Amino acid sequence: MNAKLSKESILGLIAIGIFVGMSLFTPRFFSSSNLSNMMFQLPEFGLIALGMMVVIITGGIDLSITYIAAFSGVGAALMMTNGFGILPAIIVGILFALACGAFNGIVVSRIGVPPILVTLGTMVLFEGVILAITSGNAISGFPDAYSLIGNGYYMGIIPLSLLILLFFIILTGILLNKSTWGRRVYMYGSNDTATLFSGVKNSKVLMKVYLYASLLAAVSAIIMTSRYNSVKVDLGSSYLLQSVAAAVLGGTNIHGGYGKVMGTIYAVLIFQFIRNGLNLMGAHSSLVDVVIGAILIVVLTFNFFSDKFSRKKAENTPEKAA
Amino acid sequence: MSEYILEMEHISKTFPGVKALDNVELKVQKGEVHALIGENGAGKSTLIKVLAGIHGADEGGKYLFEGEKADIQEPMDATLKGMSIIYQDLSLFPNLSVAENIYIGRDSKKKPWTKINWKSMKKLANKALAELDMDIDLNKKVELLSIAQQQMIEIARALAFDSKLIVMDEPTSSLSSGEVEKLYNVIDKLKERGISVIFISHKLKELFRVSDRFTVLRDGQYVGTYDVNEIDEQGLIKKMVGREVVYETNKEKAETGEKLFEISSFSKEGNFKDIDLTLHRGEILAITGLVGSGRTELAQSIFGITKNVQGEMWLKGEELKISSSEDAVKKGIAYVPEARQTQGLVLEQSVINNMTLPIIDTLRNKLKLIDRNVEKNLTDQYIKSLDVRPAIPELTADKLSGGNQQKVVIGKWLSAQPKLLIIDEPTNGIDIGAKTEIHKLLRRMVNEGIGVIMISSELPEVLSVSDRILVMSRGRIAGEMNTVDADQEEIMKLALDNEGIESGNDTKTPNGTHHQEV
Amino acid sequence: MKLLLKQKEFSVLAIILIITVILSFVSPVFLTVQNWLDIIEGNTVIGILAIGMTLIIITSDIDVSVAALTTAVTVSIGYLFQFLPDNWSSVVLIFLIAPLIGMLLGAFNGLLVSRIKIPAIVVTLGTLNIFSGLVLYITNGNYINSTNFPDSFLAFSNIEMAGIPILIYLFALVAFGTWFILKYTLIGRSVLAIGGNAQSSVRVGINFEKVKMFVFSYMGFLGGIAAIAQTSYTSAIDPNGLAGMELTVIAAVVLGGANIHGGRGSIPGTLLGVLLLAIMQNGMILARIDVFWQNVVTGAIIVIAVSYDEINHRRNQEKLSNIDVKEAS
Repeated sequence: MNAKLSKESILGLIAIGIFVGMSLFTPRFFSSSNLSNMMFQLPEFGLIALGMMVVIITGGIDLSITYIAAFSGVGAALMMTNGFGILPAIIVGILFALACGAFNGIVVSRIGVPPILVTLGTMVLFEGVILAITSGNAISGFPDAYSLIGNGYYMGIIPLSLLILLFFIILTGILLNKSTWGRRVYMYGSNDTATLFSGVKNSKVLMKVYLYASLLAAVSAIIMTSRYNSVKVDLGSSYLLQSVAAAVLGGTNIHGGYGKVMGTIYAVLIFQFIRNGLNLMGAHSSLVDVVIGAILIVVLTFNFFSDKFSRKKAENTPEKAA
Repeated sequence: MSEYILEMEHISKTFPGVKALDNVELKVQKGEVHALIGENGAGKSTLIKVLAGIHGADEGGKYLFEGEKADIQEPMDATLKGMSIIYQDLSLFPNLSVAENIYIGRDSKKKPWTKINWKSMKKLANKALAELDMDIDLNKKVELLSIAQQQMIEIARALAFDSKLIVMDEPTSSLSSGEVEKLYNVIDKLKERGISVIFISHKLKELFRVSDRFTVLRDGQYVGTYDVNEIDEQGLIKKMVGREVVYETNKEKAETGEKLFEISSFSKEGNFKDIDLTLHRGEILAITGLVGSGRTELAQSIFGITKNVQGEMWLKGEELKISSSEDAVKKGIAYVPEARQTQGLVLEQSVINNMTLPIIDTLRNKLKLIDRNVEKNLTDQYIKSLDVRPAIPELTADKLSGGNQQKVVIGKWLSAQPKLLIIDEPTNGIDIGAKTEIHKLLRRMVNEGIGVIMISSELPEVLSVSDRILVMSRGRIAGEMNTVDADQEEIMKLALDNEGIESGNDTKTPNGTHHQEV
Repeated sequence: MKLLLKQKEFSVLAIILIITVILSFVSPVFLTVQNWLDIIEGNTVIGILAIGMTLIIITSDIDVSVAALTTAVTVSIGYLFQFLPDNWSSVVLIFLIAPLIGMLLGAFNGLLVSRIKIPAIVVTLGTLNIFSGLVLYITNGNYINSTNFPDSFLAFSNIEMAGIPILIYLFALVAFGTWFILKYTLIGRSVLAIGGNAQSSVRVGINFEKVKMFVFSYMGFLGGIAAIAQTSYTSAIDPNGLAGMELTVIAAVVLGGANIHGGRGSIPGTLLGVLLLAIMQNGMILARIDVFWQNVVTGAIIVIAVSYDEINHRRNQEKLSNIDVKEAS
């Protein structure tokens, strides 16, 4: 076998290629203002995509994830507008999200309802709860210090929110690859019967997955509310389908059992570069959606044919690799 | 027209790197029951797939049906010509009615918008069921029927297609004894009507009961075709394995020590009732019985997979309360399931990940993260001691052969250092060499002080490996005996609950030796 | 006959009856013919889409692009209106062209699912982005109102027969037609068959890819008809008008007893599912329940329904695997 690049590394190279291409051919793409712009936009999407990826590795999907984020944002916002400090507000925001995650987790893991149905229901449910609380209005007016989370810099160059994302990239990577929970997540995603027959408490594994996804949604929500200085029911809702697309493009197997943090992050970067580049080129903002959808389908179609091709090749070579 | 309904000669099938069939012959006469036998991997299922049009054979073979060249491109061609195949896992639609299940496939070559005529469908289904003396509501959904009834629906479907040849792949594997007898009667009836049957089974006794002739395959090659009168069980086994395989009954009296494991009045509604069982140190306890006697259900209850079980359980003097498989593993119980590929292993994941799955929590370093070195060393150690081949821990489990897969499952539990190991059909679908290795391994474990309960329906295996035998029947313990005093006939009688079959073509068993049912 | 399925549909019907009784006490308007006609007419689009979605869910797939697809067809209709003469032939033409466009878009989904073997959730997620992105790009998000519509189309929209609006007839026709296809045609039975057991269906000669292709194309076809219904009902073309509706559609189908595991689902069940969601919404408006609580109730009902279904499903499975334990002698 010759040394081959992993799927993720190829995706990383593509991301770099797009970055270089955009820098060369798109005016102002490689300008400091634009670069910092992208750095500020990246974290909120990246966090939700990571959360979605973890759920998809178990063979599930979380359609309620952006409403969990919005609910969490509302929780934090209500605390602040009622005179509580930033820290209690953040804690309440996270608790709100964890409560949602626990609800998803219980129904999925204890009752065993397919995640797509559960989260379809809870998506409508959480949206309803937010609407009932906010009457559909935006909540805004947070302390100045709060806006630092989404808009501030560390040492004057690196956005704080980017550091937060970096922290969660590393944390998710460690949890998935080095922790026993992560190992079980992958094993469960491949074959949940075999894990049950190996003494793994599947419900515990799943519960933690939905809790972790909701935690990432909460962190994303804090960054978003801080950046926009306001929260509404549709906070981050455009990230729902994009996060699934990013996870899948990043190589995560929609049937479960495989998925890498870096793959998803590269996919997030690719989406970010394309969105930003197209904007700068003056393309209509909705064309970005078209391009993202097209990339998703083209890449998977390409995978299908390249798999087919390599399988044919393997059949023609007499000896099989051990 | 020839007297043969089916003539296959010089059939070869080459897969990349493997010659699955090499110049094989199968000739079936009109109105006969023809048994196709051979060990696992002998090429039976490949031959059937060629017959059915799932695989195309290599160039140069002869394949005639009713004396004419059979040009079969896809499965439906075979069916439309008059060949029906009843697969072991059946080809039914649980959500559709009995009538439809019998009728389906008939229109498959027609235009998609062809209108379904429910009346004629029901008429046809009714006629087919009547021929089998079956009285089932045509509108009933198939998922509400028993397995035996479902099988009859498949046979009815074959009749409705006016099949002249019906292939039955291990039809009795999940039937109760009464149902098996009914099936034999149906086969007799088919025979009377001039329909030929190809019967695939591992149960030699059964084959002698129903078949007229045998075709034996070994390692993808044709061994021969024999008349039922010209060969006996022993001779058949010799043809199948190419040598005489005899299992010695375990004659040694085991040195048994104190009570290791005990359950008392174990009950679970719809599964088993009032089970008492004791396992001593130093012995292998075998639980045998027919499929559906509650053996597997009992094992899975001990292991905490089945919930809400009544009764008490002690391991090494400690009373156990187990409500999940996690509890069971923590208390030192290990379970090797029968369905290796779906329950025993995570096939898409590496050997190393499989091997350490139950004990992964114990392989953590100070940072509470998995210590890869310890994990790798441990896996290497078990790969070596169990002789797993190829010895590559990073290989995904689906790349291993059945025997090596089973070794990985056993290794997984050895690494957990269990006090009790329950192993369900330990050598199902494993070749003879690996079988013996696994049997030795079980003995080794017992000698090291691990309690071993072996569930098996292969009597020769039970007799040669165990020290004591429990026979289960319809959810209860029907009898218990020491292996030294055990006798195959008596076990069968207990397992069949005395309601069963007169052992028709029973061959004499020489003293203490039992032939392998392959 | 069909005991299990009927039971499930029966329980949805029972809930509908209970809600009906309660609401008729809460509001005298609820149990009037006019209100029910309004409810049904207002849910024609969801209903037509849910009927198509039923077939897809029976084959244990899903299509999240339906709303975007339908919107894409409505925008095409709006574009076509510029060229169509102002007489009845344009209504006929629209009824020919809109389903055809929808069918082509659906066939694209079907092709990717059946031939390229990309999971349906991923395919339709991709096409959702593509369809809705293109629609917004082309229309710039602008609303087209009825001033540009041919008068004949507007006249068509206002037809009532026996006091019943034309859209309800359209809805009924789609429901009956699809029911007929499912019950009485080879392709319809094949849809149920591959949902029930994919492997068996291959063995009895059912062309799996063709059936998948059919359900997605048919979904697209109905999306085209729903687009006409939507245009006719709102007398306008709103590029954002259906955003997110795919989830309501899926919810209605699931409430109606179709199971994502495949093989289960029926047109009467789906109609009851649509009706249940519809009267709840209507009832809450009549009961002056804060509009914001409606989603809470809907979401809760979906979660409860799918959980109940799953628990039932498991209990039945367990019963089937029971063995006949011998009684003590």
